[in-house]
Amino acid sequence: MPSVIVCPACDLAHRRTAEPTKGRTRCARCRVLLQRPETASIDTAIAFAACALVLLVLSNVYPLVTLHANGSSREATLIGAAYGLYSQGYQPLAALVFLTTVMAPFAQIATLLYVLIPLRRNRRARGQNILFRLLTHARPWTFVEVFMLGALVAIVRLSAFARIEPGIALWSCVLLMLSLSALTSVTSPEQFWAWVERNRP
Amino acid sequence: MTGRSLGLLVCLECRATVREGTVAQARCPRCFARLHARKPHSLGVTALLLLGAAILYVPANVLPVMYTDTFFDAEKDTIMSGVLVLLHSGSWPIALLVFIASIVVPLLKIIALSVVVYSAWRRSPRRRRQRTELYRLVEFIGRWSMLDIYAISLLVTLVQIQSLASIVVGWGALAFGAVVVLTLLATRSFDERLLWDTAP
Repeated sequence: MPSVIVCPACDLAHRRTAEPTKGRTRCARCRVLLQRPETASIDTAIAFAACALVLLVLSNVYPLVTLHANGSSREATLIGAAYGLYSQGYQPLAALVFLTTVMAPFAQIATLLYVLIPLRRNRRARGQNILFRLLTHARPWTFVEVFMLGALVAIVRLSAFARIEPGIALWSCVLLMLSLSALTSVTSPEQFWAWVERNRP
Repeated sequence: MTGRSLGLLVCLECRATVREGTVAQARCPRCFARLHARKPHSLGVTALLLLGAAILYVPANVLPVMYTDTFFDAEKDTIMSGVLVLLHSGSWPIALLVFIASIVVPLLKIIALSVVVYSAWRRSPRRRRQRTELYRLVEFIGRWSMLDIYAISLLVTLVQIQSLASIVVGWGALAFGAVVVLTLLATRSFDERLLWDTAP
């Protein structure tokens, strides 16, 4: 362990005193979070990832909302929202919606499961480092919580002239949002590298 | 004392601290990410992305994002008229939410990031802390401007009952999506440490 911690947000050098076990350490100058206890267990992370995977599948299989108007009905799924834009010829927008609501969460969950399950048994998945780095780039593009609010706006706009029925996916999406944020918080890069280094002989 | 004065680099991907010059080709010894003292060409790239976002902000707000055709009439909706529709339908909290997410947040991001980039370029020593807070605010709220894109994607998917009503996407939505993506990329390409660097 180097004896100096350099703040990644303002470059101020701090002397490392001890590993935090309870509290968090913040940068003395810019107040960014420098250290926090990395005590999550790898099993917790795998459990959250498995849970999120199930919820992601449910959110794409069942309808989010069903619209009833004049005797006919129409439903939309999470992936269907992206397809709706695609079918109208707005491929870039469809790609954006698909990437931020389906692909980024899936990539995040799949990468973690692929890397963490071998790591738990002291093995190293092929391409572990590069995949984990890809993950840290995919993470900021997971916008499930924003999508939920967007769905709320769409429901409010439509409820003025049609009957809207919430579907199973609406609830599983709320749970997906929660499990993804739990997953992100237990698999910070610092935590991940702490697991990797603990394994090293 | 700063990392720069001590010759230490931080890996932005895994937060490892690395002594400058000890690693060939400047890769992080732990995760093999490329190491840079500062994000390369941070100010130029950020400024360029912001310029693109500012230009597209105009069509994003002027062009219709959605065309609604019903039995009785055809309507064009811009971002702002969408807010007004929500306001008239009696749900002012939702109207306020959309107004903030779609109109205030993108504009705030463009203006705030411009201020931050300009002051970093001038190496202004004033209010570093406040400018850092402003940057972090932009980083935190940035994603919420995607709200309208998601609402539109659901509206067009649900309302396709051709005989009764249909909703078609407009070019404004594409411009709006581009503004959101460009501002998100601009936020990511900016290196916060430039706000704290003093002249050598």
